Amino acid sequence: MKFSVYRYNPDTDNEPYMQAFEVETRQGMMLRDALMAIQEQDESFTFRHSCGEGVCGSDGVNVNGSNKLACITPLSELKETVEVRPFPGRPVVRDLVVDMSQFYAQYKKVDPWLIRKEPMPEQEILQSPEERDKLDGLYECIMCGCCSTSCPSFWWNPDKFLGPQALLSACRFLADSRDQASEERLNSLEGPYKMFRCHTIMNCVEACPKGLNPTKAIGHIKAIMLKDAI
Amino acid sequence: MSRQASGLRAWFLQRATAIYLILFILYALQHMIFSPPANHADWQAWVASPLVSLGLLLFFASLLLHAWVGFRDVIIDYVHPTPIRVTVLTVAGFVLVGCAAWVLQIIILAQIA
Repeated sequence: MKFSVYRYNPDTDNEPYMQAFEVETRQGMMLRDALMAIQEQDESFTFRHSCGEGVCGSDGVNVNGSNKLACITPLSELKETVEVRPFPGRPVVRDLVVDMSQFYAQYKKVDPWLIRKEPMPEQEILQSPEERDKLDGLYECIMCGCCSTSCPSFWWNPDKFLGPQALLSACRFLADSRDQASEERLNSLEGPYKMFRCHTIMNCVEACPKGLNPTKAIGHIKAIMLKDAI
Repeated sequence: MSRQASGLRAWFLQRATAIYLILFILYALQHMIFSPPANHADWQAWVASPLVSLGLLLFFASLLLHAWVGFRDVIIDYVHPTPIRVTVLTVAGFVLVGCAAWVLQIIILAQIA
């Protein structure tokens, strides 16, 4: 199978270029396996990966134009020549490795932890099964970055727009019956940038390898905000 | 006024005006298809009738508000240097207010005639 892979080493290359590779495939092979085979051919080829089963979220790449997790993308689903590039819109560190610090900074801005104003009880804070169900589709995010780096609004304003990943997390804590900081969370999302740069383009939904729906979560936050405001 | 430009209000305004716009467009379309005005006097009479006048005023108010929010969104997305952004937004604001004045003039003139 033919591959065209993005190469850039800031120490030696003046500009990025695409390099062709050929990999012998076997049944059930994932894109990550192919990238490892390419690395065997050229040891200088660099990409991030770890668990190999779609849990750690390390090996997000742009494949034939869409963001995917290499470890759970079967080669059989891809059209030849497979074009593999780093996430769009992020500074390239080397080859497929990008600098995600801005993405993490936006995640930090939504205070992604439970906030209790009442004193912490001695035991666990209990939830009914219905309350727990509200977290489904929100808590599963592995922060691979496929969604935020495929979002045009995030490309244009990555410093001010929180991006689908952080907003999904914001929704996860707004939906949590144990959290007591809804008011502060909603206030911090007001203004034209943090959330309202979302124009429901829905690239995030298409890109999410875990099948989550950040657009729906953002719509949910807007609905809570509206209910709160009038 | 808060220090920031509006987020929720602009978003809500855009959706609320969109609903009115589609309803009025449907009404205007069916009027033009089933009882199109034959001449200038017909047009004038249609525009001058109180309900249509009011509907048209609301239509253009909605249209201009809708356009303002949409245009502001595009500028916030793509135009980053502050001096250019402020200039473009100000010019757009003047144009939209000008359009509003013009619409008002047309409707009032139709009323008087």
